[in-house]
Amino acid sequence: MDYAASEPGTTAVASALAIKILIAGGFGVGKTTMVGTISEIRPLHTEELLSERGIGVDDTSGVEAKVTTTVALDFGRITIRQGLWLYLFGTPGQDRFWFMWDELALGALGAVVLADTRRLQDCFPAVDYFEQRGIPFVVGVNCFDGARRYDPAKVRRALGLSETIPIVLCDVRERESVKNVLTTLVTYAVEGV
Amino acid sequence: MTGDDPGPLIRLFGLTGGRARPQGEMFDLVAIVTTVGGSYEPADLIPEHRAVLWLCRRPTPVADVAAHLKLPINITRVILGDLRREGLVTIERPRPVAQTIDERIYREVLHGLRSL
Repeated sequence: MDYAASEPGTTAVASALAIKILIAGGFGVGKTTMVGTISEIRPLHTEELLSERGIGVDDTSGVEAKVTTTVALDFGRITIRQGLWLYLFGTPGQDRFWFMWDELALGALGAVVLADTRRLQDCFPAVDYFEQRGIPFVVGVNCFDGARRYDPAKVRRALGLSETIPIVLCDVRERESVKNVLTTLVTYAVEGV
Repeated sequence: MTGDDPGPLIRLFGLTGGRARPQGEMFDLVAIVTTVGGSYEPADLIPEHRAVLWLCRRPTPVADVAAHLKLPINITRVILGDLRREGLVTIERPRPVAQTIDERIYREVLHGLRSL
């Protein structure tokens, strides 16, 4: 049924605005930690309940496909001022949840792709995704041990990133470091406006 | 939600009548939900509906509503769609990013981040 045309109460509320920033990258790279470091609330955890629509081709054929599963979604919040919030969403790690990325990415200010130099290939899918959709992103190289021994130029080459895309060395446990990543992203995104 | 206990699923089914999508126009994860002031509140509202109306007296993004209700986002959406249909809440319509985030907003966000 379609009630959209006569729906009561769908007028735009212009006074409040929530802006999405996505935190992407491979499993265990520090996405949730990053959200937790900067969020003013404990990262909220919600689950998206999926019907069979969300399950990919990995279902065994011949088996009843009506599986229900959940995908966890962690997010944090930064209040810029009354009525203006930043929401940081840690994107689901598994590739089969791409459709959720689409929803998360729609209208997003931009994304941080977290990279672990020991497993750089883990962030290829995220880099491809944001490049293809023209969503502004920066790459944050998470230096777990605090040692700044990674060469951003090598990371750029390995990921095939254009010169314009910022690469930031960071420690997602450090507030100032996460602030630096986010301000880099916003500065980069505003250039495209 | 895994395991053998079907309790949570049955409860979710009861909240939504088994629907997976909200009625009416789809809305974003961070669309702003606002309780319509002074609207008539039916006596037979379920607790989740009451909780939303209470929370959204201040404009609140959908994701926060879900976290507050401790419910999956799509279940929360069905609930919000029902409340919208009853005229009890308004939900911000989807708008292209270029229309919502202008240079002034970017500047505000940058300033806000730097002064954290």
